Amino acid sequence: MAVSVDTVYRTVLLIMNKESRGYLTPDEYNKIAEQVQFEMFNEYFEDLNQQLRVPENDSEYSNRVKNLEEKLALFKTTPKAAIYNPGGYFNLPTPPVQSAQETFTSVVGQAAYAFQVLQASEVASGTLQVFYDGVLKTEGADYTISPGGGFINLIPPAMGVFTINVVLYQNDFYKLGTVIYDNKIEIERLNRNNFLYINMSDLTKPNENNPIFIFEENKLYVYPDSIINNVTANYLRKPISPVWSFTVNQGYVYDPINSVDFELQPTEQTSLITRILLYAGVVVRDPQLVQLAAGQIQNEKVNEKS
Amino acid sequence: MAAPNGGLINETNQQYYAGSQIIMAAGAELSLVYTFDEPLKLYSGTSWSPLDSDHYQNNFIFEYSPNGLAPYPEYTIDFKIANNTITRVDGLAFDAGFYRVRLRETNYGSYIGISLNEIINNFIVAYVGDGKLIPSVKRTDVLFHAKRGMQEFSYDTLRSVKQQELSVPNNLSIILPQDYVNYVKISRVDALGVKHIIYPTRLTSNPTEMPIQEIDTGAPIQDQYANNLQGTPIIEENWANADDKRITGTYDPNFQNAQINANTWNGNTVGQRYGLNPETSNMNGWFTINNREGKISFSSNLVGSLIIFEYISDGLAYDADTVVPKMAEEALYAHIAYSILAGRVNVPEYIVQRYKRDRSAKLRNTKIRLSNIKLEEITQVMRNKSKWIKH
Repeated sequence: MAVSVDTVYRTVLLIMNKESRGYLTPDEYNKIAEQVQFEMFNEYFEDLNQQLRVPENDSEYSNRVKNLEEKLALFKTTPKAAIYNPGGYFNLPTPPVQSAQETFTSVVGQAAYAFQVLQASEVASGTLQVFYDGVLKTEGADYTISPGGGFINLIPPAMGVFTINVVLYQNDFYKLGTVIYDNKIEIERLNRNNFLYINMSDLTKPNENNPIFIFEENKLYVYPDSIINNVTANYLRKPISPVWSFTVNQGYVYDPINSVDFELQPTEQTSLITRILLYAGVVVRDPQLVQLAAGQIQNEKVNEKS
Repeated sequence: MAAPNGGLINETNQQYYAGSQIIMAAGAELSLVYTFDEPLKLYSGTSWSPLDSDHYQNNFIFEYSPNGLAPYPEYTIDFKIANNTITRVDGLAFDAGFYRVRLRETNYGSYIGISLNEIINNFIVAYVGDGKLIPSVKRTDVLFHAKRGMQEFSYDTLRSVKQQELSVPNNLSIILPQDYVNYVKISRVDALGVKHIIYPTRLTSNPTEMPIQEIDTGAPIQDQYANNLQGTPIIEENWANADDKRITGTYDPNFQNAQINANTWNGNTVGQRYGLNPETSNMNGWFTINNREGKISFSSNLVGSLIIFEYISDGLAYDADTVVPKMAEEALYAHIAYSILAGRVNVPEYIVQRYKRDRSAKLRNTKIRLSNIKLEEITQVMRNKSKWIKH
């Protein structure tokens, strides 16, 4: 259950009293909402770290560690297979759900096709699958993507008319969790310098019962080298950006089908509204609103952490 | 005995005593799941075949009988195994019938121990985490301390004595076993199978270097690589050729050339020999540890003798070694906890000391447990001492 992007927007507009303070457009709201959601999401880690250092209580609903774990639970993925690369490392698990796709019809002799639907930044950071008439193609051999992610270049230029279907898998990886071997053994994470010493000691040298990995360039280097399959990893994914979608009909009309709600827990609704108000106050240049929201946020923090 | 019902025992009586498990297939099973404690392993991708040269290196035999009656010939269709689940490589279902897996080696008595990996996992579960004295620890740290603990316990606490039955060869030396750390006891075994302890001797030793010396100055001579030239070990040769009767003082009427035990002198002094040294006056022989060659050298009277060589290893030499007796399990947890806490900053000293005492007490308990002191056995031994023991 998520927080309704519409409810938050309407509440923000209500508190802003748009007649006297100014209006927060849907586009401004969407950008602020994304920023605030990510900001709150990031704070969970520090809050959890802080709460783990103080004694816990055993209450059913007021255990702060448990509450924070619940807030993060939505973003934790189940272990997924990491793909072995003959280069001697594992790639992070590919997100299983495609986020968007775009289709072109090739033009004879034309190599470059600009993305219109897919965002260049998403293409650059995501994982693509490209099909020519339904046949999966290989990057590098059959096509390349421009460095900024704005174009796809066919190799060689199209020699006939066919359908190019580009499927984008949004890279939603945020933090690496547990890496597991054979569904039962946790692979320990080490830094390169520690690994060198651990590998030299006969007592601690990695083996299939005590494997280790080094995480570099978003790749998992698993030791001993004999492990080339059965590696899974779970991770924390990024929250999906909230979108207040609309149609124009004598004003902005909420479009629930194309909108995306906040992914945070319902308990975060008031915090979301307060924090969006803070940024909204900056946008409409209203010091009173900024002060009010900042004070409210401060009170919440003191209450949550004292 | 009860069938496995959620306790620590997972194997049926058939799996344990016969080392086998039979699964009946109706004809639609794509996989057969076996429940041995021991992971079933194929040595290679082709070793499933009874004709493969590495077939004997699989730790099990897979057999099939259409009606469950003997004989059970080996299964001859390509199969693979993962997590003790056998599937056909061609993806087809197994034919109806009875499928038996037989372990090549039984695991009798395995319940007395727990593997080092389980110790490590249990330790992390019970001792590491939020709100505990060890909030977090690297698994490799636990692994290191567990293995070190295993080594230390092996030296003086665990019953990890290994024994080799050997014959003393003509060169009077046996090679130290690959996993040798220290000897416990070496015994000569007589025709009745009774052991007679062979003691190490102080009468001679094995020099570690034998530099060839210049005749006039006595200075060692070097080779073209600037290293000392080494000669042959004369002391060892003399010791090997020594007649032990000259050392033990054994009475022998035929011993004509005795120096300390001459027949004429001995004949006149029968029954009047005083000051015999028990260390040397026995016929069991002696041994020395030859660290230069990594061998044990025996005295000449032991040539051809049957001996039992008891020694200790460190418990880590082979995978099968790494089993901790359950009686020492708690002591090993205490050892790991103490070792981790003692090596950390900002741990109050009273905590460290508490864990030190905890480790010490548990280790003492373990030693007592593993000593196997039984009142009835002590009583039986002491009866021989003409003492009244009430029990």
